Amino acid sequence: MSEVVLQARAIGKSFPGVRALDKVDLTLAKGSIHALLGENGAGKSTLIKLLTGVHRLEEGELLLDGKSVQFDDPHAAIAAGIGVVHQERNLIPRFSVAENIMLERLGPSVLSRVDQATLRAEAKRWLDLLELDVNPATPVMRLSAAKMQLVEIAKALSLRSRVLLMDEPTASLTPHETEHLFTLLQRLKRDGVTIVFVSHKLEEVLQICDSVTVLRDGRNACQSQPMTGMGRQDLVRLMIGRAEQIPAWETRDRTTAPVALQLDKVSTSLGHQDIDLTLHRGEILGLYGLVGAGRSELAKCLIGLFPLTGGKVTIDGQPAAIGSVAEALNRFGLGYVSEDRKQEGLVLAHSVLDNAGIAVWSKLAGFLGFLKNGQIRERVLPAIERLEVKTPSLAQQVGLLSGGNQQKVSVAKWLAAGVRILIIDEPSVGIDIKTKAYLHELIRALADDGTSVLLITSDMPEMITLADRIAVMDGYRLTGTLVNDRDYPRMSQGIMNLIHGEEQDAA
Amino acid sequence: MQSMLGKAANTDWFGPLVVVIAAVVVIGAIEPTFLSAFNIQVLLSAIAVNLVIALAQMIIIAIGQMNLSVGAIGGLVAIAFAGMMEVWGIPAPLALVLALAIGLAGGLANGFIVAKTGISAFIITLASLSFFKGLNLGITEAQPFYGVPDAVKAFGNTNMIGPIPWLVLPAAIAGLGIWYLLAKLRIGRQILAVGGNPHAAELSGISIFQTTVWAHGLSGLLAALGGVMVVARLQIGQPSIGDDWLILSFAAPVIGGAVLAGGHVSVAGTALGVVVVAIITQSLVLFHIDPFVVQVVLGALILWAVGINRWREVRVERRLRGAS
Repeated sequence: MSEVVLQARAIGKSFPGVRALDKVDLTLAKGSIHALLGENGAGKSTLIKLLTGVHRLEEGELLLDGKSVQFDDPHAAIAAGIGVVHQERNLIPRFSVAENIMLERLGPSVLSRVDQATLRAEAKRWLDLLELDVNPATPVMRLSAAKMQLVEIAKALSLRSRVLLMDEPTASLTPHETEHLFTLLQRLKRDGVTIVFVSHKLEEVLQICDSVTVLRDGRNACQSQPMTGMGRQDLVRLMIGRAEQIPAWETRDRTTAPVALQLDKVSTSLGHQDIDLTLHRGEILGLYGLVGAGRSELAKCLIGLFPLTGGKVTIDGQPAAIGSVAEALNRFGLGYVSEDRKQEGLVLAHSVLDNAGIAVWSKLAGFLGFLKNGQIRERVLPAIERLEVKTPSLAQQVGLLSGGNQQKVSVAKWLAAGVRILIIDEPSVGIDIKTKAYLHELIRALADDGTSVLLITSDMPEMITLADRIAVMDGYRLTGTLVNDRDYPRMSQGIMNLIHGEEQDAA
Repeated sequence: MQSMLGKAANTDWFGPLVVVIAAVVVIGAIEPTFLSAFNIQVLLSAIAVNLVIALAQMIIIAIGQMNLSVGAIGGLVAIAFAGMMEVWGIPAPLALVLALAIGLAGGLANGFIVAKTGISAFIITLASLSFFKGLNLGITEAQPFYGVPDAVKAFGNTNMIGPIPWLVLPAAIAGLGIWYLLAKLRIGRQILAVGGNPHAAELSGISIFQTTVWAHGLSGLLAALGGVMVVARLQIGQPSIGDDWLILSFAAPVIGGAVLAGGHVSVAGTALGVVVVAIITQSLVLFHIDPFVVQVVLGALILWAVGINRWREVRVERRLRGAS
């Protein structure tokens, strides 16, 4: 094996209630592209944060050129030549593209004068390298999601790092932009740069990576193996501990059931145009799309967070003008399980009872708004039991439960409130594989009992496991709807065609 | 393409500037004494002092925090400045340097505690407000210091050129200095970066600790300068100096388009915000309106300003969504 640049030995990390990483090893060879794979919640992002000084290394050892190192903050990692493109966008919205790219190199001392012209010239070089046609003086808040991502990549490249970690760099790029990025990464590799590539698009991984490390439930499923001879199914087996499998459930057809929710040429203040969608009673309708396609945004418009600007929404055959979330819930029985449990779904510091009961308070509040815990418990307990939330008691603080159980509480909240239409956004983010399978059975059972589900997920196997029909969204428009026949290769190909159809024609 | 006027309408200073011009024209027409040399001098003195106070708050708004102790620091520095000259007979220039050092130290202490503990600046500066005010009252026993040298009194009450008072000089230097710092120096860009997205700034290797301590240090220094200027203007070191700074210190930056969440402030806008407040206060006096109404008007003005800012944000968001 060629020269080793960075080596991680027996790295561990615990968060309250979760063992995120356990004795993880990683060996990075000079001038290679190394894939870091794993399912959501397997510990990839945590490992990256440990390697780049975002989290402090407390267990295990990090060797750079054979010498033990400790990064106390991100600055130390950057100084040691380790650059990173994080999964979340990390740009200053009102700053120019140039200033964002050069943010850590504005001047030698804090009182140095910032030379904007030099910054722009320097930034331009890296933008040109990515063939990104934006004016370096533009504030990044004016850019599209894809361009922001490219700006972040330009920023990481401009650090001229010896080790470059990229966490889902292609998530919002078009195929053409992705191809161009790959050419560039190959060139960097020839120049001796080591790249760590995190992606859930396995085709990309197989295309450009030389070696691979797979994490499963916070442990090494494989450690720095050469990619030669590996196929898609091998990677999947390593990631989930078995071959990719769509459970052998029978296909369901609910299109003859009464219509629960219908959108007719709906457009919204967030920019959706001409959305036609029909959700039948007891049906699971999938809504697939890439990051930034406008799926969660559509959900938020439907529950009354943002106004509609055109078209018609009918619920159970009645025209519905939903002005607020309270109205969506109380009048129309429409609930939304947010993709962002921690920010939008749950009050982490409150008890299970308070979280699961929050949506029924308005129904149960008595004279002068008094709430009786006993009454709330009566409403909440069946839902908690049905979803088998594992909690020592209803008084347990939600933040101390595991991710899977937190997710169950956020679903239980709506079940307790008796919703008939449930929008579930990315149900299995940060949830281990077993809980995920179980959650899938629950969602399916809910639908069998007559709840209509609009399922938003970026996880293709999850989509094909659960959905009866799949609507595909791109750029705030629907590009088509497929009936799910549960044949994975055919369905995934069909979905990708609907997303990339136009771009491939144009390329 | 947008017209020149359309572009100007999107800047932070355009709204307050229109208000200022309209107010001057209308009030000047109704009450010609409003534009007399004496009245202009009174107005400029008030504007000069208030600008420095507003800048002390603005620099903390830029980093996405609040400093409730601006007035308490200013008050403590004011009585220290006057006290040092009266009790110990320290010459004015040395007393000025020491007074500014006290303000700087107070601000640095705020910043250090905020950055070190991670507790919100609101709470920390609420505590330090009480601490500084307590020191102030303990030292003065609520009695003013009267022994302010004539040179200092003259600086606060005479004119540099025409109707322009000397007090305008330190205010202008502070304004230009802070503008230069925020627009051109690395520390200024760091302050706005941390205010705009602290997480991203930190991941880019910017030290949140260093930036926070700097911002609070500058805030303390400006508050101290404000305190000294008020002593020069009032000609006594009164313990109650700084008690009424809080609302103004927020009102002017907000009228000037500052985003309270951080990351965006405007020195020109803040200066015009100070002018708007001064003109309103002054005209209420001219028209013999109950001075207590000033507070009501100021409150309404803040609401109006944040409303305008919010409306502009929503419009930008809409335009972005429409473009994508």
